[in-house]
Amino acid sequence: MISAAFTGTDTQGGVKHLLFGTKLRAKISTGVIILVVWQVGVQLFAPSFVAKPIDVLGVFPSVISDPDFLSASFSTLSAVVQGLIIALIFGTIVGVAMGRVKLFDRLLNHYVNGLYTMPMVALLPLITIWFGYEGDARLATVIFAGFFSIVINARDGSRSVPHEYLEVCKAYRAPVRYVWFDITVFSSLPYLIAGFRLAAGRALVGAVIAEFFVSLNGVGMYVLANARTFKHNEAVVGVIALVLFGLLFELTMNWVMKRYFPWYRREGRGE
Amino acid sequence: MNKVLAAVNSDKKSVIWLTVILSLVIGGLVWEVVGLSFNQAIMAPLFGADQHPGTLPRLYEYFFDDEEYIGSLFQSIQLFTTGFALAILGAVPFGIIMARLVTLRVALESYILMLYVTPMIALIPFILSILGFDFWPKVLVVYLFAFFPILYNTLEGARSVKPELIEVAQSFRSSEVAIWKDILIPYTLPYALTGIRQAAGRALVGMVAAEFFLSTSGLGEELITASRNFDMAGVLATILVITGLGITFMRIAQAVERRYGAWRGLDR
Repeated sequence: MISAAFTGTDTQGGVKHLLFGTKLRAKISTGVIILVVWQVGVQLFAPSFVAKPIDVLGVFPSVISDPDFLSASFSTLSAVVQGLIIALIFGTIVGVAMGRVKLFDRLLNHYVNGLYTMPMVALLPLITIWFGYEGDARLATVIFAGFFSIVINARDGSRSVPHEYLEVCKAYRAPVRYVWFDITVFSSLPYLIAGFRLAAGRALVGAVIAEFFVSLNGVGMYVLANARTFKHNEAVVGVIALVLFGLLFELTMNWVMKRYFPWYRREGRGE
Repeated sequence: MNKVLAAVNSDKKSVIWLTVILSLVIGGLVWEVVGLSFNQAIMAPLFGADQHPGTLPRLYEYFFDDEEYIGSLFQSIQLFTTGFALAILGAVPFGIIMARLVTLRVALESYILMLYVTPMIALIPFILSILGFDFWPKVLVVYLFAFFPILYNTLEGARSVKPELIEVAQSFRSSEVAIWKDILIPYTLPYALTGIRQAAGRALVGMVAAEFFLSTSGLGEELITASRNFDMAGVLATILVITGLGITFMRIAQAVERRYGAWRGLDR
């Protein structure tokens, strides 16, 4: 019954089969329909400055080759990458310490949970007063946005290390640093990766919010400046660039996992 | 040495309470000392002294002495609940419909995923220049922040509905209402609730962002005014209030999720 929709057994629905016959065809034609609705809807009902797909496509090459845009992308990306590396290193250390030593867990748990729930936008006024209206404020926002999700996941991961591993360590009198960094970190890798993915999304959002607030050169500011001067088509390219950064991150992660951690399988990931 | 470690890490109730209280005391002391040693335009202490207005006294003042502030708080809560409720009403039925119409689901899946990963914050400038400064553009921001996490998770639930179940129901000539009531809703609801919990955090970010970047109002306005006046006690107190709101919303969402999350375990 349900598969009938895909195999197109009804002979009259020739057009329907052509457009929605397979999964791929259904996806492509839906995409086309969405774009057409967007184009026509904006042309009929919205002011002329609102972005339309055809115009976005038109300005795409000129924006991509614009040195301002390239320097803005580079500035945002390097801040996000720097911040994420710092957050990953310190977050993992703190998280593993909390997962392995109950004392640290009890001391820090409330603060970590509270700061994790705190929306990072609310901290921006504070961050700008502490770090000034410059790049440091963005870096601080990115670190703050990423740090706590990494800590929480590293903590949960190192709590769930299989008992057998730890018992073997004990039986062979393994030194503590070996237990921490060779057993705990590697066996909690699925959690760390989940935390890192979450952190990356939050860090990108953090960078964009910081750019809005501080008026810092970057993709977020590029979108804001163009939207303010009613050049929406250019601004949409900026948004597309942000989505592509997210995709780029996913692809890099997958490549790194395949290249350096071939023993780690995605199906084993906890849900 | 080992004895001390064992005592500190033991699971006795008294030890746990002692460490938690110790951590709160240390945190409060650090805050107080840092606040007192810096200029009052950079950091405010927790309790405060002369020349250094404290955060907790300010919080007290806000709640019991300042009707304007209470008004701002309710303004923010109103913005949040309106946007969030609309997002739930829009996303959950839409997700369940996609559990029923498989073609629709297959067709829209990738686009929903794409919008789910789009940082919604980047759309604020567009909303600002197209829709302006009203209450409803701000609701739209909260709505957008909350809608896609809920829809994405409901869709995950829609994917978990087994086609066999619907086929069996249909071969027993079950009515459409019964299919929805007994199969689709019980299957997708736990996932939708996970999405709602996720969305609560995001919608809070959306609320504050909307109050910052669209017309300033509510708690966002209080925060910006305080920071422009270098009133750090006010800034920190408002941050505490916003975090408190966030924790409250999260707790409610978690409680509901736990209540209905048990349905998910049925056939795993």
